[in-house]
Amino acid sequence: MRNIDNRKYIIALIFVLIPLTFVVRLFYMQVVDDKWKDRAATISENKILTYPARGIVYDRNGEKIISNEVYYDIHVIPRQAKNTDSVAFIKLLGISMEEYSKKMAKAWAYSSKKPSEIVRQIPPNEFAQIAPELYKYPGFFEVARTLRVYPKKIAAHVLGYMNEASPNDIEKDPYYKPGDYIGRTGIERMYEKQLRGQRGVKYYLQDAIGMATGEYENGDYDTLAKQGKNITLSIDWELQEYGERLMQNKLGSIVAIEPSSGEILAMVSAPSYDPNLLVGRHLGANYGKLQEDTLLPLQNRSINSAYMPGSIFKTVMALIGMQEGVITANSSFPCNKALLGCHNHPTAQGVSDGVKMSCNPYFVQLTRRIVQQGKDPSIFKDAAIGLDIWAEYVRSFGIGVDLKTDFPTNVRGNVPDTDYYNERLNFRWAFSTIQSIAIGQGEVLITPMEMANLAAIIANRGYFYYPHFVKSIDGADIPDIYLSPNQTMVDSQYFEPVIDGMWRVVHESGGTARRARMDSIAVCGKTGTVENFKKISGKVYQLTDHSNFMAFAPRENPQIAISVFIENTGFGGTWSAPVASLMIEKYINRTIKDTVKENRILNANLIPDINDIIRE
Amino acid sequence: MRSQENKIFANIDWALLGIYLVLVLLGISNIYSSVYNPEKPGLFDLSTEHGKQIMWLGVALFLGIIVFFLESNFIRKYAYWFYGFTMLLLIGVLFTTPIHGAKSWFGFGGVGIQPSEFAKVGVALALARFIDQNSSSKERTKMGKNAGIASLWGIIPFISKNKSTALILGIPCALVLLQPDAGTFIVFTSFLLVLYREGYAGNILLFLVIAVIIAVVTLLVADSNFMLPFTKMQLSGKTGIIITLIVLTGAFAFAVRSFVMRRNRKGIYRSLFGSFIVAVLFVNFVELGYTNILQSHQKERIDLLLGKIDDPDGKGYNINRAKAAIGSGGFIGKGYKSATLANASQRHVPMQSTDFIFCTWSEERGFLGSFLLVGLYTFLLLKMVVIAERQRSVFTRVYAYCVASIFFYHFMINVGMAIGLAPVIGIPLPFFSYGGSSMMSFSVLIFILLKLDSERKIVLQ
Repeated sequence: MRNIDNRKYIIALIFVLIPLTFVVRLFYMQVVDDKWKDRAATISENKILTYPARGIVYDRNGEKIISNEVYYDIHVIPRQAKNTDSVAFIKLLGISMEEYSKKMAKAWAYSSKKPSEIVRQIPPNEFAQIAPELYKYPGFFEVARTLRVYPKKIAAHVLGYMNEASPNDIEKDPYYKPGDYIGRTGIERMYEKQLRGQRGVKYYLQDAIGMATGEYENGDYDTLAKQGKNITLSIDWELQEYGERLMQNKLGSIVAIEPSSGEILAMVSAPSYDPNLLVGRHLGANYGKLQEDTLLPLQNRSINSAYMPGSIFKTVMALIGMQEGVITANSSFPCNKALLGCHNHPTAQGVSDGVKMSCNPYFVQLTRRIVQQGKDPSIFKDAAIGLDIWAEYVRSFGIGVDLKTDFPTNVRGNVPDTDYYNERLNFRWAFSTIQSIAIGQGEVLITPMEMANLAAIIANRGYFYYPHFVKSIDGADIPDIYLSPNQTMVDSQYFEPVIDGMWRVVHESGGTARRARMDSIAVCGKTGTVENFKKISGKVYQLTDHSNFMAFAPRENPQIAISVFIENTGFGGTWSAPVASLMIEKYINRTIKDTVKENRILNANLIPDINDIIRE
Repeated sequence: MRSQENKIFANIDWALLGIYLVLVLLGISNIYSSVYNPEKPGLFDLSTEHGKQIMWLGVALFLGIIVFFLESNFIRKYAYWFYGFTMLLLIGVLFTTPIHGAKSWFGFGGVGIQPSEFAKVGVALALARFIDQNSSSKERTKMGKNAGIASLWGIIPFISKNKSTALILGIPCALVLLQPDAGTFIVFTSFLLVLYREGYAGNILLFLVIAVIIAVVTLLVADSNFMLPFTKMQLSGKTGIIITLIVLTGAFAFAVRSFVMRRNRKGIYRSLFGSFIVAVLFVNFVELGYTNILQSHQKERIDLLLGKIDDPDGKGYNINRAKAAIGSGGFIGKGYKSATLANASQRHVPMQSTDFIFCTWSEERGFLGSFLLVGLYTFLLLKMVVIAERQRSVFTRVYAYCVASIFFYHFMINVGMAIGLAPVIGIPLPFFSYGGSSMMSFSVLIFILLKLDSERKIVLQ
């Protein structure tokens, strides 16, 4: 009897042990292990990102130059779309059955409950026809997304383009998610952080088929999307458009700067392209086409190319010479063609003459005085000392240094110094070896941006502001670096003779840029003609020279400094000078008086055939 | 005696009644939370599950009052009649049209009645009556004494000796399997606990434990292959199990040889050999049963439990969602009506108001709530054991153990399934799962127990 009655204890023990096991298990699941909490969150919570509108970009006169337009992506939640009449649906969307099946299979593979994209970026006019029908297809819905619109098809290089963030971008900045757009070049890239704004996020609870059923934690974790900041650029949109018209059928660039502020008024690189090509669905295909174009439309020649400056560089030589005291404004040098070839002209009787006549021997002799100052008996050592002084001067003109322009580039000009030549010429060099630097040939390189800045320096008589695009960001001030002037190493008193020479270049008979003359505005300019060597299938050919011109106007209280560079068009005065004068006239007077000059430029097709420009 | 007879509520066990009411009220509040619909906030709205559940509680309380007005003797006397009636219902239900593939329901104008729920009451009463009548305690004591190692595998002789008992249990088991309703079948096996307590088949629990171990091992390894160590022989998992059994038997035999007196050895050897044969047959039975008898969804549930398959969004959907709901409850839970998974409007956890109702409770009340619920059930079960053991009437004691065993099985399997310790078997959690039949049958089980217990002193005289 005892034996059997003890069994009640066994039963009671079982009735305690099993619940105890449950309690231990529950404690582990609910308190210790976070696995199920994470699992529950993935099952029951979801979030939608709300995309802010990207900042609008205005020109200096308040004209909208980049705006947004709403496009529509069609997304699907596969398990809500099981009974789709696919034949009618693909007809509505205008896609092929093959594409539809592929996209749907991909959506199923990704998730049956989470949305996947079926069609991307349907323009508003097409979507207007789809929208009223879409309700017939449960599981499909539209997602609005703003895309960039460029009202005028200009300034593609300045504005840049956007595309989807790459895995690399996402790794660098966790803000970006796959599918996000990111500014890739130009202003879109430079001011990406300001323009993009702040994405918002909304957490919600979802049911078993992924439908939202309520907000998560009363929306405490939600954030609102913050609109991107609007940016006003210093670009003069009318001037920019005019510059692009002038540069049609030409290769080259125009950069225009307001000397008194460093604001960039126009930046043209030709050939250009319609910035709307690199937006939306067809970006990839269009980019490919542009990339294959042998005229390199994607290349921003105005800031990402460095050329030899040619004769415009002579102005700098004259300024350094006077500042160093090796010449005066009235110093004269004979046009000794044994030193370097020159054209026929009267002897230059001073700096003004030298600049006006662009006498090569004049500047070779002048520069020799700067470089070979006789500080060391060895001409080699003497040249080494002198060249470094020279290089320091040149760099103070913003050549070959970082101009801190708010534009994504790292291309700079080149100012050769002692180290540069020691390395290349193994210490066996003196001024005579490198004398072509005096006339802006040889190893000196300059970008069109630096050239325009040089024009601004001369216009300002000795100082410059870093050239920049930004005028204001959402009404706030621009960075301090753009507000204080940078002094060159040349005092302002030495500029007048050079400016006088530049004025005479345009206005006096015998000046090289007579085509830049206007009655209404006193233009000061300097032409350049740049020898052009190119390696074609292993052999170096000399091609037609590049045409080069820098100018500012008016002579007193200059409002615009400009550089024009046109490839393979020979002498600087022929094509570059009139383009610069038209730009100046457009900017200052807003109208063009000399329509003959204008039409000559507009009608010229100066894109060379490679076979024609090889000079034997 | 007369004074006690007149006072129906005189010897009521208030603690049992109290815990019953607590469970019922918590259950209804939990259903209210789990199916809460802001458009139908009314507690008594009969178009909602909580409204219906309250109605069923009303019916159950009415049945309880009827039970209170019956006499214990009446209940005892008509136990077989009630058993017979529920068996007829179980037969009758086989002629209905299947709902969800099982013929388990009588439909009366939108109200479904599940006779298998009432069969539990019938079987409990019949078993109590049968043991009370037929088995003298001496006989059972003798069996208990004999229940040594020698009769370890005495289940077959047990059945042949107790044909009637086997019949009382076997008929409803067969009938529910015909529906088919595996869940209720498993609940009927809970009466083995009662038989154990009453002295039948002494080592049945040890037998069950060993059987479960062998079954689990078989299911885990039978269909895999392995290399016999030190050889290049490729053997099946089943062969491995049998080899292991041979080694174990050998080890036991060696132990017996070393520690048992020679004259006792022979019987033990025989029983050891018998056990080995039974074990080998059992391994084959489990394997065959798994591959040939179980339906594919039942196989999946077993495989999921044993971790042989892992498919959280497919085959393992239910159990994965249930575990996520429970696990996400944390220590104090998400709060009343705040479940984000086990909630009728979220629909993440399937059958969350019936079979998986524990998920709602656990998610909203957290570990504290889970602990409370498990504690309440443990208290209920132990209370029933206490009540059973204080009876002088065999009928009442057996009946009390029957009720305790039924509640224990429902609790163990329902909660075990939700937390991944038992295979998914669709049986309700008493007083928590939504359902009229189970609300009525569990209530009646308790009320009959209360009534029988209240007359324990009368029986004494």
